[in-house]
Amino acid sequence: MLLLDYQNALIQSLLTERFSGATPVSIDQVVSDFDGVTFHLSTPESKSKILISINVKCFKELVQYGAQDVLEREYGPYIVNPEPGYDFSVQVDLDNLPAEQEARDDLVMKLALLKRNAMAAPFERAFDEFTKLAEEASQYTSESAPQGLQEGGQVMAIHYREEEAIYIKANSDRVTVIFSTVFREETDRIFGKVFLQEFVDARRRVLTLQNAPQVLFRSDPPLELQGVPGLTKAGEGAMSYVTFVLFPRHLTPQRRYESISHIQTFRDYFHYHIKASKAYIHTRMRKRTADFLQVLNRARPENEDRERKTASGRTFRVQA
Amino acid sequence: MSQSLRPYLQCVRSSLTAALAISNFASQTSERHNVPEVEAASSPELILNPLHISRNENEKVLIEPSVNSVRISISIKQADEIEQILVHKFDRFLTQRAESFFILRRKPVKGYDISFLITNTHTEMLLKHKLVDFVIQFMEDVDKEVSELKLFLNARARFVAESFLTPFD
Repeated sequence: MLLLDYQNALIQSLLTERFSGATPVSIDQVVSDFDGVTFHLSTPESKSKILISINVKCFKELVQYGAQDVLEREYGPYIVNPEPGYDFSVQVDLDNLPAEQEARDDLVMKLALLKRNAMAAPFERAFDEFTKLAEEASQYTSESAPQGLQEGGQVMAIHYREEEAIYIKANSDRVTVIFSTVFREETDRIFGKVFLQEFVDARRRVLTLQNAPQVLFRSDPPLELQGVPGLTKAGEGAMSYVTFVLFPRHLTPQRRYESISHIQTFRDYFHYHIKASKAYIHTRMRKRTADFLQVLNRARPENEDRERKTASGRTFRVQA
Repeated sequence: MSQSLRPYLQCVRSSLTAALAISNFASQTSERHNVPEVEAASSPELILNPLHISRNENEKVLIEPSVNSVRISISIKQADEIEQILVHKFDRFLTQRAESFFILRRKPVKGYDISFLITNTHTEMLLKHKLVDFVIQFMEDVDKEVSELKLFLNARARFVAESFLTPFD
């Protein structure tokens, strides 16, 4: 349970159960996921038709970066008109499922990955842009390349939480993914700093991680984000910017699916482990406090209420 | 135990044992009151000279004796932000349980992290040398615990970062 799953476990188990051939029942369930994403699973028409709707805070932005195309590619025949109050809906008919077990499992997985696929659009676009820029750049030497090519593509901003956002920018030799993250508490901020420092150092320290993306972090907006509106100014402390530099080897067609899924989980993974460490420290302090109490209680003299007897075995009783 | 810690704790132990020569003493200012004089500070002649024992500028102990009570304040080493957080959390844990830690003061003296108040009732009810033992063991264990927790946090952070970056490879 160290790394987080990419799919939604509740949707997965629910659909696996439904697809296993059990008698259809009516479902009406709201499922929450990370980053304020909510799903709604229901059977509005008949018990055999399951409607799955998703609500993402930043869906408008995602559509702008081509989410509709990605979702159509993934869910083509299942797409229906979005349910009111949700951004995107798919419907599966239990009477019309693929015959083989394997294909069914694939379909369940695909549906459980709805959030991942919706969020993947800007990443895919950036990766495509990178391929295009890389091809163009290969025609020039580094000196003669035109100005626009060196600067790379537009910064794509996804405001996927209230105050936090992901920024993605393609260049001819890399794709930069920047997470902005907020710490609610002083403790979180300090723990976060310790964790991020290890992310930064991991690549240098461990030989097997030489090929991992480069990680940088700072508390003021990085240079890549110059001119992007709505950024918090430096010096407010609570904001951190974590930059991942993805190199061409992460962007190959074979690797991109995995890379996109994995980098999406960064924020949740990071905050989850901060909370987990806090919880551990909490239990440990609780235990230590109990130990101290025990030491202090040793100072209490033992009470002498043993029954006292005479040599012949008779007992005394104090008259009340 | 490191070489410089031993004399420090030994010094605290003997000073504390000496300071704990306290006896019942009713208030001189209000009738039928019996209050810890070190807190009330109403009659200067009942308060003895306070005593500082410092290992370095961050680690020190203040012992304030009086005729019927002794106040001991401890300042715990805090080298960086993480240790500060850990010590602060620890203090909160303890002070919230002050009720069961009968000698613990709910609020530390200004400039210190944690304070104890031992009155003559405590020394009459409890074994005096065990109380001293407790204070000494507390000082030892807090440092140990804080550095262990700090190591744990760093180890975990390292492990977490490496596991996240491994799938990219």
